[in-house]
Amino acid sequence: MGSNVRGVNKVEQTQIPSFFWRYTLKFGRRIKTLAMLSPALLLEVGLFFIPLLMLIIISFTEKASFFFTPVYTWINYLDIFNFYGFDFQNTLTLVSAAAFVDLIFGYPFAYVMIRKIRRFADLFRSIMLIPLFGELYIAYGLWFVFLPGGPLSFIFDFLNIPISKALYSAPSAILGLAIYTFPFVVYNVGISLQEIEPSFEEAARCLGAGPLRTFFRITLPLSFPGMLSGWLMSFGWNLGAYAIPQIMGGVVTGQRIISVKVYSTGLVTMNFGLSAALGVVLVVISMIIFYISLKVTKGVLV
Amino acid sequence: MNRKTSMLVTTSACYLYLIVCCAILLLPFMVTLVRSVSVAQPGGSVVFSLSSYNEIVGSFWPKINLSLSISLLTVAIDTSIGIPAAYALVRHDFRGKKALFSFLNGVWYVPGVCYAMALVLAYYFVYKFFLGFWGYVAAYSCGFLFLMLLTCMVAFRHFDPRYEEAARCLGAGRLRSFIRVTLPLIGPGVTAGILLTFVLSFNEFITALLLAGPTRLMTAPLRVYSDIRMYGVRETVAAEATVLQLISLIVVVLYLKFVGTRYLRGVILI
Repeated sequence: MGSNVRGVNKVEQTQIPSFFWRYTLKFGRRIKTLAMLSPALLLEVGLFFIPLLMLIIISFTEKASFFFTPVYTWINYLDIFNFYGFDFQNTLTLVSAAAFVDLIFGYPFAYVMIRKIRRFADLFRSIMLIPLFGELYIAYGLWFVFLPGGPLSFIFDFLNIPISKALYSAPSAILGLAIYTFPFVVYNVGISLQEIEPSFEEAARCLGAGPLRTFFRITLPLSFPGMLSGWLMSFGWNLGAYAIPQIMGGVVTGQRIISVKVYSTGLVTMNFGLSAALGVVLVVISMIIFYISLKVTKGVLV
Repeated sequence: MNRKTSMLVTTSACYLYLIVCCAILLLPFMVTLVRSVSVAQPGGSVVFSLSSYNEIVGSFWPKINLSLSISLLTVAIDTSIGIPAAYALVRHDFRGKKALFSFLNGVWYVPGVCYAMALVLAYYFVYKFFLGFWGYVAAYSCGFLFLMLLTCMVAFRHFDPRYEEAARCLGAGRLRSFIRVTLPLIGPGVTAGILLTFVLSFNEFITALLLAGPTRLMTAPLRVYSDIRMYGVRETVAAEATVLQLISLIVVVLYLKFVGTRYLRGVILI
């Protein structure tokens, strides 16, 4: 430790790097970086990259032929195009409806939580962790709710709807999916609301706009990226949901879902090629969705 | 006075809205809880009793034990892998950092069913030795690495490197300065990742459903799922689901009591 004066240190530092030393130091640092990152990289390559590659390769083989002598064809993708259109339509309808429900109820939730209240905010925040426990419990609990004689049956009696119609139907599945991804929408909208400078709204109010006009002309357009990324995130998460449509959705809505089809064609009827192809299509849709969502939020980290 | 009244009305309307939304979020859990403690008597009346919990103790406890050990091992592996990786990603500059980060997070953006199907194919063909207990651990620690990485990176962002440099200048070695200075300062941030990884891997069921095929090694949530398909509304199944949710809830409540919500801000909460 020579001197503590800043300038002197700087001079010493600038004198060190001859070419040899500079590259040696840089190389040592690279090695260190690599050593720190290598366990994570090894894990991801071994258990994510290779399985995904196998999924893609197997999606081009016929039925279970990859186990014995692989026969490479396009037939799985043709089958998907010809016979699975309804399933894709069904899945995307359910999922996007759930995302819209999330947005309609989640936007006011985030707005109120950030702008209007001070007390008990932490309590409401911690309740947002509960849907994260898993879709299985949400599906099971909602199933009880919609069974005849459940806790909400008086509402159905009041509206004169037979509760048996509500049980295995698209709306109940949409409600379950909406509960499952509610926290993500609130989180995304809340972040974009927090980033709006309060002075913009104050300026609008000073210039004579009423509260409603301020909200629709200033706050809503400025929080649009958060809404879009929340919608996309909810959409992408629900694409892989399995238990909620399966348990809540009944015969048509519940069984003709891509995630259920991936399981049933793969492990029930042993048509691994078709199952892998369905999986690949789902992965591609999900990747596109999340790519747009990350572009909208401009990649907060790194 | 009038203005004050309108303020009061607005605030109470806001609270009412929040409470209604939270009630809907809590509804599935509450209904399951109520179902598990209400047992129908032969006379047709429903009484409060804990007999369903008594019934499941023998058969369900080993599954919980298995699930707990899987998720704790997952947390241990993820912590030991995630902290150095996050350090390198935050502190070091190198080419292709962004691409590497997106690659490390790739699993998070793949739907659960597709990832599980890919893992099933890989386990059947390449990693045959993995089928079973360690297969679950490997799958979960790869799938939830993202959460640990994200929380660790947020923690390192908020941690001033000058403290570590000061410790090094004052004569502490690399290891010592890491254990005595860096770890206590980033520790609370890392706990958020530990909490999320534990809760999500403890309750994960779709990967387990696809992987459990030949080995028949059932984790607790998978057992709940198969019981739902077999017995449906029986109160013992509700008790199983409630027990799992209560374990997660207790972990979350303990965390919130001792650490608070502030380290979860960058990850999931506002």
